[in-house]
Amino acid sequence: MANDTSKNRKAILVTPEACIGCRACQVACKSWNQLPAIKTTNNGTYQNPPDLASAAYNIIQYSEVPFKENLVRWLFLSRRCMHCEDAGCVTICPSGALYKTAEGAVAFDRDKCIGCKLCVTACPFDVPRYDGEGKVTKCHLCFDRIANGMDPACVKTCPTGALKYGDRAELIDTAKKEGYTTLYGENDLHGLGSVYAFKEEPKLYGMKENPAIPSSVVFWHNYLKPLSLIGLGGVVAAAAVHYLAIGPHKEKEEEV
Amino acid sequence: MAEMVRKSSVDEVVNHWILAGSCILLGITGFAFLFHLEWVSSLFGGVNTMKEVHNWGGVVFCLSLLYSMRHYLKDAFEYDADDWQWFKVAGGYLSHKVKVPPMGKYNPGQKLYYLAIVVAGIAIALSGFGMWFLKEDASMLLLSHIVHNVAFIIFVIAVPVHIYLGTLANPGTLQIMLTGMMPLNEAKKKHPKWIKAVGKM
Ligand code: SF4
Ligand code: SF4
Ligand code: SF4
Repeated sequence: MANDTSKNRKAILVTPEACIGCRACQVACKSWNQLPAIKTTNNGTYQNPPDLASAAYNIIQYSEVPFKENLVRWLFLSRRCMHCEDAGCVTICPSGALYKTAEGAVAFDRDKCIGCKLCVTACPFDVPRYDGEGKVTKCHLCFDRIANGMDPACVKTCPTGALKYGDRAELIDTAKKEGYTTLYGENDLHGLGSVYAFKEEPKLYGMKENPAIPSSVVFWHNYLKPLSLIGLGGVVAAAAVHYLAIGPHKEKEEEV
Repeated sequence: MAEMVRKSSVDEVVNHWILAGSCILLGITGFAFLFHLEWVSSLFGGVNTMKEVHNWGGVVFCLSLLYSMRHYLKDAFEYDADDWQWFKVAGGYLSHKVKVPPMGKYNPGQKLYYLAIVVAGIAIALSGFGMWFLKEDASMLLLSHIVHNVAFIIFVIAVPVHIYLGTLANPGTLQIMLTGMMPLNEAKKKHPKWIKAVGKM
């Protein structure tokens, strides 16, 4: 499996249960990435901005779920790029703007992005967003910080340990030992780089069930891409064989 | 000088090369997008300029394809008994010994090739515009992406066959597409029904 291939793969472990919804991570991310504020309107929830945006690489998703009699539980979930091992966005990106770093982060090169917006259609988690010039933006796992031995900005600022950064395998092991029964993303898409530790159903927190890359993207990648090369190569080879074995039409033979 | 007969009008020749040039440009840049060929995108000064070249090259291709219809579309839909016989002997391409039936201006292989290019061309053009202008609609974008790539495969198979048959496999053919003229003697042999129809035989 692909998640064994990168031995030193890093990850962010999100433990929603430990999150207090303070949104320090949102602020830290904005600060590190120098993202502008977004003007929003109060829509009756603490969730702000309401969705990931070109200037919001991570958000806390607030959900209220029924709990026992007449009670409501308020759940906080940090949404961000999942840094999939099998990343649909990287697969489909025609410009090479999206790429994987040595740590397993899915980062982007803004200058290369051609603004085609294919990446968001191939992302199982609806993550990529586009800035004013139509260029891709999203969480990049602070690839610039982690490459220099620092924690991602959001992790660094998290006061409760709901966000942890480190060696992916170790984080998963520790979480399991601590009694987290469901490690969302341990194996999905060959292993996510944002792993979520739950003791309950991830669905309760609004996690997507069975995330998958759209089948047309998989079909295109597995069959159409190779077929374009095989088709071209095959035709050129067939022409060469024809030329040598049968040869061109000659004047004489045309006389009928 | 042998007596010559005009097979292709000047505008047909010019349009053919616009179509061919844009098609090859689109094919090369298309492969560069598919496989992230940086040496190709750097020729264009980066992938963003390559995208512009690809998009506008597509517009040129599309207009040129539409214009070509006045030259070939009618013929491409007309097949007679000799054409069916042509298929039976595979146009004489698999053996030089078989008797190839008398042909009109175009053989049915060429006619079918043209239809394939029209169908794949319309598909690749519409899906190209779909990716260009409808990218806010995720399902339209994905649909366009897949159609664009399927049509691309038809092109990468059909176009090299056309190039081979129009050059190495049939010496003398390329000259026709360069000058529009072909020797009358040769035309009488290769396209007797056409020459009869234009009253030169
Ligand atoms: S979550 Fe989406 S944007 Fe992030 S790596 Fe996976 S496919 Fe790409
Ligand atoms: S929008 Fe940019 S990053 Fe996304 S697939 Fe297109 S070129 Fe790649
Ligand atoms: S890892 Fe970096 S880019 Fe991603 S959400 Fe955290 S601070 Fe933002």
